Amino acid sequence: MSAVTRLQRIGRESLGYLLIFPVLLVILGLNLYPTIQGILTSFTNQSLIDPGHSVYIGLENYFKLFKDPIFQISLRHSLELTFSAVVLQVLLGLIMAHLLIQEVPGIHLFRSIAMITWVLPIIASVVMFRFITLPNYGLINILLRDVGLSQLSRNWFGDEKTAFPLVLIMHLWRNVPFYAIAFMAAMQAIPADLYEAARIDGAGEWRQFWFITLPNLRYIMLVMVVLHVTFTFNNFDFVYLSTGGGPVTATEVLPTYIYKQAWNGYALGYASAGGVVMLVILVVLVLICNKLIKGLSEK
Amino acid sequence: MIRPFPVRRVVTYCGLSIFYLCLLLPVVWLVLSSFRNSDSVQSGRLVPAWSDLTAQNYGQAFQISNFVTYMVNSCVIAFTVMILTVFLGSLGAYALSRFALKGKKLFMMAALLPQFFPYVLVLIPFYVLMSSLNLVDSHVGIILTHTSLTLPFALWMLTGYFDAIPKELDQAALIDGCSRLGVLFRILYPVAIPGLVVAGFFAFVVSWGDYLFVSILSQSNATQTLPIGLQTFMSSLEVQWGLITAGTVLAIVPTVIFFSIVQRRLVSGLTAGAVK
Repeated sequence: MSAVTRLQRIGRESLGYLLIFPVLLVILGLNLYPTIQGILTSFTNQSLIDPGHSVYIGLENYFKLFKDPIFQISLRHSLELTFSAVVLQVLLGLIMAHLLIQEVPGIHLFRSIAMITWVLPIIASVVMFRFITLPNYGLINILLRDVGLSQLSRNWFGDEKTAFPLVLIMHLWRNVPFYAIAFMAAMQAIPADLYEAARIDGAGEWRQFWFITLPNLRYIMLVMVVLHVTFTFNNFDFVYLSTGGGPVTATEVLPTYIYKQAWNGYALGYASAGGVVMLVILVVLVLICNKLIKGLSEK
Repeated sequence: MIRPFPVRRVVTYCGLSIFYLCLLLPVVWLVLSSFRNSDSVQSGRLVPAWSDLTAQNYGQAFQISNFVTYMVNSCVIAFTVMILTVFLGSLGAYALSRFALKGKKLFMMAALLPQFFPYVLVLIPFYVLMSSLNLVDSHVGIILTHTSLTLPFALWMLTGYFDAIPKELDQAALIDGCSRLGVLFRILYPVAIPGLVVAGFFAFVVSWGDYLFVSILSQSNATQTLPIGLQTFMSSLEVQWGLITAGTVLAIVPTVIFFSIVQRRLVSGLTAGAVK
């Protein structure tokens, strides 16, 4: 292509560049720039008290992080939460999708309201869960008392043993229906003659699921897992609004710990270093998921 | 064609009941409690007496200081974010779908990448940036922030939507004398309404529910939104759960109404990008 025709083409397409410019500005200016800036901040001692003046201190924040016991606890909690949430979500999502795909009367109602927990503001979900787990008149304790198990009742969010499982349950509650609906849509797209052929070959329902349904869900599974590894690992609201990371550090996760370091501890540089560690872990996690599910497909 | 046997039906309904009981019980309990007076809420009884039911919690919720301000702020911010996202997103998607732009692939990747970045990390430079632009504690700052969170997804989804619309439609319109921008508004918009609505719904949900960014970018009642308000209620009104539940119900009503409108399109919208 000669220079003249190339220029002509750019001229013809200039409206396109003009149309994309606002999006470009927002994405470069408000997404990529802050992230790069955040990585740079992690090598400084920037403080919220005087953010304008900060000094480059190399890897010092990172050395400090790896000696910080609460950071290590938070890291472990974040990994445990992400792993258990995503594994359980896939399993429960598959079961729920399998139920939702049955053409029984009234199934459309079930399908249509499924996603409701996913669209609610997280603060509203937290209010609901805190309200049903109240020590004196929460629904759970009332039910336990009514069936004669009141020795099990407790202040669920205030108890070191039950606070963390409750955070996990909130994640499941919000996201399992989303998995189910996505899996269901993908199941409906599988050609029926595949099942027909399998039945003729004498494959039972379990084998049909294992050899036809599951392999065909690979792609949507990858999408959902990557989406939710990211969501769960990055999620701040569920923990911060329900327990604030407590009792003591029983539910502290990386996002809440980093948030507190930045906005209560004024240590913007230190918090940024924590954020960068999160970013690196997340990239590794996403790559692992990708490998695992791709591996599944070659089986 | 699978014809469910009675046994199969029973199993299906049992399974569904378990799932939906878990999903809906917290919501039902919240709504029920919001109509009970405070003695009834604290009585520890499962089923309230008829005489315990009242709407006074809602009346009181509106009288608590700032609740109305929170509601107005949430509405202004979420609706602006929704319109900005759909408008800017559709312009960008139109450009990506119908113009021969250089670096298109690279740009699409660059747009998707930030979705994976930890928000708590992004928040720090964001705050510094906003304070240098003098946009801390302003509606504009929060709206810009939320739009930057919602725009990448809208761009991806709408590009997919526009790509699926046959280019012959545009060409026919161009021959009839329609301008290139006119093609977007007169030809693509009407066809892509389901996609536009879903993109708008997501933007609304993200903005309406955001706590993290507002908690830092808002520093006074003038810009605080419902999530901040509910959190404040929860910590300061500790025992008045009738009020807290009523406030929460009011905060979820707009989402539920919007959801019931777009619910049909939601799945196809969500999976449009994934199924390709």
